[in-house]
Amino acid sequence: MIIFKTFWNVVKKYKGTVLLYTVMLIVFGGLNMTTNESSMDFVSSKPDVFIVNQDPGNKVTTNLIQYMKNHSCIISLNEGKDAIDDALFFRDVNYVIYIPKHYGQDVMNGLHPKIDVKTTGDYQASIAEMLLKRYVEVERFYQSRVKEEEKFIKTINQTLETQTKVDITSKLDTTELTSVSRYFSFASYSIMAVIIFVICLVLSSFKEENVQKRTMISSMNYKMYNKKLLIASFVYSFLVWVLFILLAIFMFKGTMFTIRGFIYMFGALVFTFCSLTLALFISTLIKSKEAINGIVNVIALGSAFLCGAFVPREFLPQSVLTLAHIFPSYYYIYSNDLLKTMETISIHTLKPVLFQYLMLLVFAFVFILCNNMISKYKQKLDRL
Amino acid sequence: MFWHNFKYSFKTLLKNKTLVFWTLLFPIILGIFFHLAFSDIEKKETLDLIDIAVVSNDAFHENKLLAETLRVLSDDKNEQRLFQTSYVSLAKAQKLLKENKVIGYVLVDEDIHLTVNSNGVDETVFAFVMDEIKVKQKMMEAFTREETITKYSQGELVDYEKIYRQASQLLQQDTDVIHDISNQNLSYTMIEYYTLIAMACLYGGMLAMYITNYKLANMNCVGKRTSISPVSKGTMLLGSLCASYLIQLIGLLLLFLFTIFVLHVDYGNHLLAMILLACCGSLAGLSLGIVVATLIKTNENAKTGILIAITMCGCFFSGMMGITMKYIIDKNIPLLNKLNPASMITDGFYALYYYDHFDRFLFDVISLLLFSLVMMILSFHELRRQTYDHI
Repeated sequence: MIIFKTFWNVVKKYKGTVLLYTVMLIVFGGLNMTTNESSMDFVSSKPDVFIVNQDPGNKVTTNLIQYMKNHSCIISLNEGKDAIDDALFFRDVNYVIYIPKHYGQDVMNGLHPKIDVKTTGDYQASIAEMLLKRYVEVERFYQSRVKEEEKFIKTINQTLETQTKVDITSKLDTTELTSVSRYFSFASYSIMAVIIFVICLVLSSFKEENVQKRTMISSMNYKMYNKKLLIASFVYSFLVWVLFILLAIFMFKGTMFTIRGFIYMFGALVFTFCSLTLALFISTLIKSKEAINGIVNVIALGSAFLCGAFVPREFLPQSVLTLAHIFPSYYYIYSNDLLKTMETISIHTLKPVLFQYLMLLVFAFVFILCNNMISKYKQKLDRL
Repeated sequence: MFWHNFKYSFKTLLKNKTLVFWTLLFPIILGIFFHLAFSDIEKKETLDLIDIAVVSNDAFHENKLLAETLRVLSDDKNEQRLFQTSYVSLAKAQKLLKENKVIGYVLVDEDIHLTVNSNGVDETVFAFVMDEIKVKQKMMEAFTREETITKYSQGELVDYEKIYRQASQLLQQDTDVIHDISNQNLSYTMIEYYTLIAMACLYGGMLAMYITNYKLANMNCVGKRTSISPVSKGTMLLGSLCASYLIQLIGLLLLFLFTIFVLHVDYGNHLLAMILLACCGSLAGLSLGIVVATLIKTNENAKTGILIAITMCGCFFSGMMGITMKYIIDKNIPLLNKLNPASMITDGFYALYYYDHFDRFLFDVISLLLFSLVMMILSFHELRRQTYDHI
């Protein structure tokens, strides 16, 4: 029991680290929850648009603004040039429209006033540009045909109100599932960092030369000593998993108590086990506490960046995804993405997900095997 | 004595592997991760070819406007091509949609019907093009009605083919009234690399902290010996700090060379301004390191933890863990980023990259110098007061 207790006494010293990664996960999960509302009907993506209106009060201009308002999210900003440029750079706004002075009057006089725009060039900006172009085309078409202002506006609106009927086949609430999937994918970073960092540091404390010498001359059986350290490491990893699952239940009550939710939890457990075996392997390889800090950061951050914990997999280059196959996180994050889009859950549809979990177990087995081999090699060296 | 201290501090710092890793190697490793993760993110945010299916029935072929529009938008010779279109039967279209090989299909009967799997940008664009076709149909109908009435009232024969051609020409006219005045430097992932430079500058504070600890009698034996030696403390400290500043600058130079030539990071076209900002940023990091070493009375590990925590918090607020964080703080709590050295450095590089004037850049440089000055005054004030009867 003394080993088990000592393990936890050393773990207590690193509670700040566990807390730090937990807070990061909560912040990340919280940010992901502030996405769009869910819907079972087709909802168009709405770009964020800012309009600088230099022709206030004119009905034709007001109608253009109203049309943009109906089909996009109009953002309110300080009208200063730097504020607008900053908003564009940081994608607070996708598209800025500068309506020139006397725009409405010029249109009614048959002119084609130029409209300055600023765009981020992404797909949201492309949608905003399509909207503006469509409006201007219709406006230009009726410009020479309808001379009376009220009738002109009415004709434009009647033409533009046409909408195609769109049916949506998927009955999945992808918004909630996307948040859940992103949470568990980000958790791969937190789980890996917390487990490797703490277990490596605690085990390195037990492997300090003086401590080890004292242990060797003690009456305790060496195998029992190792067994107790292993049990303590298992318990610690299990508690980390419980902590992150409780957080997930707190944030996504709706999904976590479904079959899909249980599969997410099971996947996290398999990944936690795999991280534990990796931690044990690293602790056998490295003794220096200072080196552990660096190695944890490189391994945890590296696999998080390359496998899609921070940036969704669909945004990663193919070459990076190919390289990511060497990390267990890749298979775990891929399984989360598969679960997110799965329409129905059955043994047949779950096969690809289970294959990813099997890959995680293969990694765990390889880590255990390498760990044993290196331990034996080091023991031989010590005897020599 | 200055050169003696400078030389040995330089050697001591370079021999400390942990310090070398965190100040010189870690920013480069992180830079590689950033590059791998973010290199495609902006490219994938632009519209790509969208896979769609069209149910090829009689009604579709009769709708000339729809058929022609889809043909043009699917033509691989068209630079503005939007779709990769498969013309198939209804059953095949449903199968393609189920297998996620297309994002949706269009079926024409009395009206145009769209079926998609889910909400999304590609689906919005698909629906948008269909709406556009229906709007154009309405305009053509209006034009045909108008022309027919005119011809009829003039007693002329109505040539529907000619009217259709005229209407088509009219609708194909380019709308050249939209004038793009956007800034070309809009790559927001650059902010990540700027925060990386900021982190490297502030991590440099670890060097200054480490070497300052060597001069403190309450920290280690070297400090005790230094304190009782008949040499000016100021001269010794200055020599050591210059050595740590030099290593910081060498580390930054390596990081700049790596990010510019390997990762192709764009810092704008103002080399001198960039060097000035890097020097000021390093000075801020150095002064932060000294202040942590002198003002906080604890062991070396705790001091390192505090310095890393300050640096990482600063980097978080300047956008390292999410680019928009810098914008959110700038917009809502501007004072926080005005006091945050990581944000001053990031903002300075951002100003050089994005703005066509130097006002914002100069403000950031002056802020960094002021920050460094305040930190130095605090540290020296604390150092001057330190006397011990016994330790």
